[in-house]
Amino acid sequence: METALMVKGEEFGGELIQLVSFNLEKEEYGINVLMVREIIRMLNITRVPNTPHYVEGVINLRGKVIPIISLRRKFDLMEAEYDKRTRIMVMEVAGELMGFIVDEVSEVIRISEKEIQPPPPVVSNGIEQECMAGVINQAERLLVLLDLERMFTADERRMFSSIG
Amino acid sequence: MPIDCDDQELLEGFLAETTELLEKLDDDLVALEKSPDDADLMNRIFRSIHTVKGASSFLGFDLLVKVTHKTEDVLNRLRKGELTVTPEIMDVILEAVDLVKTLVADIKDGDIVERDIDSTIAKLTPFLTEGAAEATVLAPGAAQAAVPPPQAAAAAEPAPAEAAAQPAGAAAAPQAAVAPVEKAPAPPKENLPAKKPAPAAKGDELADNSTVRVDVKRLDDLMNQVGELVLERNRMIQLHSDYQVGLDPVEFADDFGKLSKRLNFVTSELQMQVLKMRMLPVEKVFKKFPRIVRNLARDLGKEVDLHIIGEETELDRSVVDEIGDPLIHLIRNALDHGLETPDERLAAGKPRTGTVVLSAAHEGNQIVISIKDNGRGIDPEKISKKALDKGLVTEEQLAAMGPREILDLLFLPGFSTKEVTTDLSGRGVGMDVVRTNIRKLNGIIEIKNDVGHGSEFILKLPLTLAIIQSLLVEVEGEVYSIPLSSVIETMRVNTDEFHMVGGQEVLKLRDSVLPLLRLHRVFGTPIKNVDRKTCYVVIVGVAEKRVGLIVTRLLGQQEVAIKSLGKFLSNLPGIGGSTIMGDGRVALIVDPMGLIGGGDAAGGRI
Repeated sequence: METALMVKGEEFGGELIQLVSFNLEKEEYGINVLMVREIIRMLNITRVPNTPHYVEGVINLRGKVIPIISLRRKFDLMEAEYDKRTRIMVMEVAGELMGFIVDEVSEVIRISEKEIQPPPPVVSNGIEQECMAGVINQAERLLVLLDLERMFTADERRMFSSIG
Repeated sequence: MPIDCDDQELLEGFLAETTELLEKLDDDLVALEKSPDDADLMNRIFRSIHTVKGASSFLGFDLLVKVTHKTEDVLNRLRKGELTVTPEIMDVILEAVDLVKTLVADIKDGDIVERDIDSTIAKLTPFLTEGAAEATVLAPGAAQAAVPPPQAAAAAEPAPAEAAAQPAGAAAAPQAAVAPVEKAPAPPKENLPAKKPAPAAKGDELADNSTVRVDVKRLDDLMNQVGELVLERNRMIQLHSDYQVGLDPVEFADDFGKLSKRLNFVTSELQMQVLKMRMLPVEKVFKKFPRIVRNLARDLGKEVDLHIIGEETELDRSVVDEIGDPLIHLIRNALDHGLETPDERLAAGKPRTGTVVLSAAHEGNQIVISIKDNGRGIDPEKISKKALDKGLVTEEQLAAMGPREILDLLFLPGFSTKEVTTDLSGRGVGMDVVRTNIRKLNGIIEIKNDVGHGSEFILKLPLTLAIIQSLLVEVEGEVYSIPLSSVIETMRVNTDEFHMVGGQEVLKLRDSVLPLLRLHRVFGTPIKNVDRKTCYVVIVGVAEKRVGLIVTRLLGQQEVAIKSLGKFLSNLPGIGGSTIMGDGRVALIVDPMGLIGGGDAAGGRI
């Protein structure tokens, strides 16, 4: 299996990378698996006042308190009810653990770096250009590759740490 | 010149011991000035300096030996009664001790700097001659030349003194071998030029904070507690596997109840032990004050008796580090503003010598430190006038203030009653420092004032900053935790008792008017039940300010461990952190300091 994939990878050329794919509003996104610490079910979220609208609150992740961000709100998508497919993807962003709420986590896929195409100049549903690292166009699916390090613009980071 | 010492352990031991001796010496010397006839004290001082001398000559620190040797000679004459203790002699001896500290600090830094020790030695030398009473400070050369007969004994020093030094050094050695267990605490870092007598020993950090000295007994106790914790864990694992293979649920519940009780006991013990290890006696801070007070009193021409009570009271090292500065300011104020000059005191029918009492005590989960003087007290008239002159408040604001609020004006940055700025006071920074530091520690400041008879500043501080006692409250369905150290009282109030003053909701509470903050409004919590007739007010205090927080319900008191919210959510107004409750949910900890800061902006005052 491994070798077969490698061969396939070499065919395309470039390094093989693994992506966790997840859904948001029926769109499929991918994130480098190395960024993802763990994927958990919805927990009780404690609301934190006076934070940007996309900050859902904080959770207790085995004794550590981490902030939770709603990707739907961050991307200005419609709000949706949480259901049994809803997941929190815990990731390390800029050295800090953070959780991101997504509609559903589907699978881990392997792609070759060569398959990543630059993002199209105009992005439809409001995702800021800068956190899109590229798109992956495979036979029947289209994946948007996200770079969460870039997700928070410098401005937002500043605001985040100096609210008030 | 780098230090050439083969035995690092020996050196560390020397540094640890010397630093300790020198710290004690400062205290003892000041005490000696007060009771010059105390032979025990005199002997102790003599012994300390002798030990330092012996150890330094053993390790070959020549500069140190020279200074300590001369100091020892002067002390010896004092001891024999050939000299009497005068402030002048003490000044010189203290200067010499400061020089010794500087030299020791050099050694600790690993580099011996050539320092001017001659001028200090020159000041010491005159006291070694007969008729020292009229001795004047001579030029170093002259002093050396004019060594009269009594000095001969000292001049013959190489033989006997060296011989005496050797055993002393040897005696120090075994101790040195023991000492490395605790890393050498940092010696006072005074880079003062050797010439002038050190002013208040300010900034000479007493302890190195990167290492901790822990009583071996405490460490053993801790190990015992950990052992018990391991046992309880094993018991728990056992219980779980028993349950899986079909233990009767009733029996399980029973066993589990017992287990959780024991676990509760063990963890609280463990918590106490660890807390205790972080504790330092407040003496660490207090012991530099006699010296400061002495110098200040001499500078100001006042006569002061400093009483220190409860210096054995222990508190968390993080707190110890922060209270030094505020206390220095408060003590300075007590001496400078509070106490009168001897003549004024006599005129007011008080004893010549003023008293300052510095005390520390535990009170529940707080430590209470008070600085009390029996001086002239604080004149509210004078304060309001000054604040007005400086444009810090308007007349209308003043008119609306009660006596307490007027005293609070003291803490405004830029406030000073001094006409002229001196190097001691007058820039209006001091009380602001006090307020800032106490706020940082979530502490409370209270002022008791008796015009004409003195004033008292009371600092109430939490014991530790990592685990706190907190009051859990409900705000429209959300749970928040308020540090109990800042809670002054709670009360149930009818909403029709609230008044509006200048757009600010207030509550008349006994003789004061309390500004109110609706927590659900501050935190943007959606309101669930609109027509509620009564609610609870939690009165919190930060430093000198009081504010009432309106909450829906009080849930109870709980000890909580503070968890950071991470850097993305730091600096949220009014939120100081979070904690995890028994059910695993996160509750936010209210930061009264942030809230009151925000409340001011709304109220537009102070």
